[in-house]
Amino acid sequence: MAISAATKAATDALAVNHAPTSVNAQEVHRWLQSFTWDFEKNRTKYPTKYKMANDTKEQFKLIAKEYARMESVKDERQFGSLQDVLARVDAAKRVHPKWNETMKVVSNFLEVGEYNAIAATGMLWDSATAPEQKNGYLAQTLDEIRHTNQCGYVNYYFAKNGQDPAGHNDARRTRTIGPLWKGMKRVFSDGFISGDAVECSINLQLVGEACFTNPLIVAVTEWAAANGDEITPTVFLSIETDELRHMANGYQTVVSIANDEAASKYLNTDLNNAFWTQQKYFTPVLGMAFEYGSHFKVEPWVKTWNRWVYEDWGGIWIGRLGKYGVESPASLRDAKKDAYWAHHDLFLLAYALWPTGFFRLTLPTAEEAEWFEANYPGWQENYGKIYDEWRARGCEDPNSGFIPLMWFIENNHPIYIDRVSQVPFCPSLCKGASTLRVHEWNGKMHSFSDDWGERMWLSEPERYECQNMFEQYEGRELSEVIAELHGVRSDGKTLIAQPHTSKDGKLWTLDDIKKLNCVFADPLKSIKAGDR
Amino acid sequence: MGIQVESGKRGLTDPDMARVIANAVPTQPLDSNNKMNYFVKPRGRRLSEYEILCCYAQPTPDWIPGGLDWGDWTQKFHGGRPSWGNETTELHTTDWHKHRDPANRWHALYVKDKAEEWRYTDRFLKSYSADGQVRSIDPVWRDEVLNDYLGAFCFSEYGLFNSHSSASRDCLGDTLRMSIAMIGLDKVDNAQMIQLERTFLAKLVPGFPESTDEPKKEWTQGAIYKSARETVEDIWQATYDWNEILWSGHMVYDPLFGQFVRREFFLRLSSYFGDNLTPFFINQMQLYHSQTKGITGDMFFHCLADDVEFGDYNKRILRAWNDKWLPRTVNALKDFMGIFAKIPEIKGVTDKPAVEAALERVFNDWKRDYADPISYKVDTAALIKTVLSGLK
Repeated sequence: MAISAATKAATDALAVNHAPTSVNAQEVHRWLQSFTWDFEKNRTKYPTKYKMANDTKEQFKLIAKEYARMESVKDERQFGSLQDVLARVDAAKRVHPKWNETMKVVSNFLEVGEYNAIAATGMLWDSATAPEQKNGYLAQTLDEIRHTNQCGYVNYYFAKNGQDPAGHNDARRTRTIGPLWKGMKRVFSDGFISGDAVECSINLQLVGEACFTNPLIVAVTEWAAANGDEITPTVFLSIETDELRHMANGYQTVVSIANDEAASKYLNTDLNNAFWTQQKYFTPVLGMAFEYGSHFKVEPWVKTWNRWVYEDWGGIWIGRLGKYGVESPASLRDAKKDAYWAHHDLFLLAYALWPTGFFRLTLPTAEEAEWFEANYPGWQENYGKIYDEWRARGCEDPNSGFIPLMWFIENNHPIYIDRVSQVPFCPSLCKGASTLRVHEWNGKMHSFSDDWGERMWLSEPERYECQNMFEQYEGRELSEVIAELHGVRSDGKTLIAQPHTSKDGKLWTLDDIKKLNCVFADPLKSIKAGDR
Repeated sequence: MGIQVESGKRGLTDPDMARVIANAVPTQPLDSNNKMNYFVKPRGRRLSEYEILCCYAQPTPDWIPGGLDWGDWTQKFHGGRPSWGNETTELHTTDWHKHRDPANRWHALYVKDKAEEWRYTDRFLKSYSADGQVRSIDPVWRDEVLNDYLGAFCFSEYGLFNSHSSASRDCLGDTLRMSIAMIGLDKVDNAQMIQLERTFLAKLVPGFPESTDEPKKEWTQGAIYKSARETVEDIWQATYDWNEILWSGHMVYDPLFGQFVRREFFLRLSSYFGDNLTPFFINQMQLYHSQTKGITGDMFFHCLADDVEFGDYNKRILRAWNDKWLPRTVNALKDFMGIFAKIPEIKGVTDKPAVEAALERVFNDWKRDYADPISYKVDTAALIKTVLSGLK
């Protein structure tokens, strides 16, 4: 067999140099952009009004095997901590009970966001035309599987090793009962996957990840650590290391459409809608989780919000995109108002509906009432005195025959649910910006709490038809709904949800709830279109 | 102590804070059931960690079979199409959450395996190069076959990889979604390994082209991959049913065309041409193929073909999909037969009887593992005859 000139050259080269040679990830990645080819049927299955550029690059430049190596190293550190030192110091039992309850919600709800982001980035991987851009989204698809598993691991860990496994052990089933669930689905599930692909990217990467993961994933670790929880920081900070790549993906999405005419027409409207969608839920829910779901307080939510959302995201991050025509959302100013009172408004309702949760809630103590009043002047007059009344009526005691939902009915304070955000609100009690507006469409009444959501619905009502819990449960007795949706502990009668976290307090049972004869009513049945 | 704490204070380590927390914690856990996902039916005797971490992460309502939620979607596509819907596939099931990866791989286990393969690849390449093994590769095999035709096969793997994007978006279960994304990543890994091998050869063999230009020209304009390319394009972008995408790619095209190209051509022949580099990479691809086969077998046979209510119906659809995709795959193989005219003939290795024997292995494997489980009648001898008609 004749030896070719190239083989001879290789042989000669080896004669003088036997140095071990390998190929690094970058040397492969630099060819990635050429992996695709043009063909007639090559178009996305998820149309977008924007055109993503064919030559868009990614910033992280990973190949499959290098991605796996990097993540595996992080996993070793994280699971090593959890399974070794944190297990040996019995860390899950040294978390304040209020925070143990908060993590039932936070970890599971974040899991839903991560899970849906698998599908969202699958859609973006399909929509992008540039192989590098596809590759960036692909790495995120895998990251989101990682994060789904990690969030699940937090609940798994608390269930196995903690002080109250109920709720941690079945959050994926019991989360659907209560008033926080559907709103969470809007922001963390459907908002990421249903719509124009770029609009979904803006929701997920430009707002969800670039704006709210800082308070959700970083700030939460400070609150966790203060309240004795080292499990959450161990996992969430490992998640956050991947989020940087996701924010970069969002940035690249904007870069890829920057030169498209559609961007100048639609981008800022889509960004504004996405921001309002995300903030409408996260602003109250995160504030509520931190301030009402903790014993030790780190800082008022309004300050955290102002730093991460208003200044860091609305100013610096969006400012960087200014050269591509991106502007701070017009709704940012209204959101800033919500950051002060909206979480207090929501806790009032969440506590009123506590039996439908998969966690225990706690009324603010006298010490906490002082903290709230000091940081939110006017809190005692608007909220504190209501809690005092509820406590005086024995709302924590199953023998009292009283749950705060009854107080709302007795005092004619109807609770509505915003059709677009699915966030509950009580127009006659709320101190935040929510006001009632009602429309009739398709034979059904719809309530709304703000201009921005109402505008989204008026443009495309067919996108927001989901029934709310009052419509779903209408006419049904409360204990029956709880039992059917598995809201009880392993004894088959004690509720997972409780209105206190006192270790000496009595726990409510299905029988205690049944005695109240509390029947769900749909408030939209008693109002008419145009009511405000 | 007060409830407002300074930034950086930790409840686990600060003695005063730890005392407050300890006083609040119940002396015994409030519930005796500490098993997460206890309500999930395990595939084995006990619930695995994989099932605990993956099952029911998907928040679908109960009108999508297996879902635990209620009601409608909170936001839909423009025009009102649902976020996820039963209408995205022709197949039916009583439970879209039934699938399990037989290897029980959640993310951490999946990346751990691949990370080890990467580290070992790096060590292997260093040893291979230091040993000067590249000198033994036949130059025609190296410069034409590996450069052009293995290089062009990169695009087949890359196209199949992309077919997983919409499937990972549209599928209706959590374990399904995770499996689909992982077997998709394996496909792009295959494509990248092919380019990695070419880059490695370019480093060792002066003049060996690293560029993807020639392979792409072969893939897009050449005759040998013409039908393969058209089939991959259709799987990737012309097919909307996510189950059909997976079936056509993983249950018809890849176990026939992919297996022949990888196992019966590159893997089997490389040693005859002094090439012990390519088998290193192809064997990794074969590992992924084997793992994927376990996953897709579970999806389609255990979960769908054996579904108590819809099994017979599903098998009818799967057989119809075979009718659609098998002729295209056979054509892809027939075109690929042209490659044997490009390499020196080795008696008993590259001649017609040897090729026929190789085809028999591939088609018989396919019949046993993919056609028989859905009672698909197939005349493998006739198919092989059609393929062999492409031998020049």
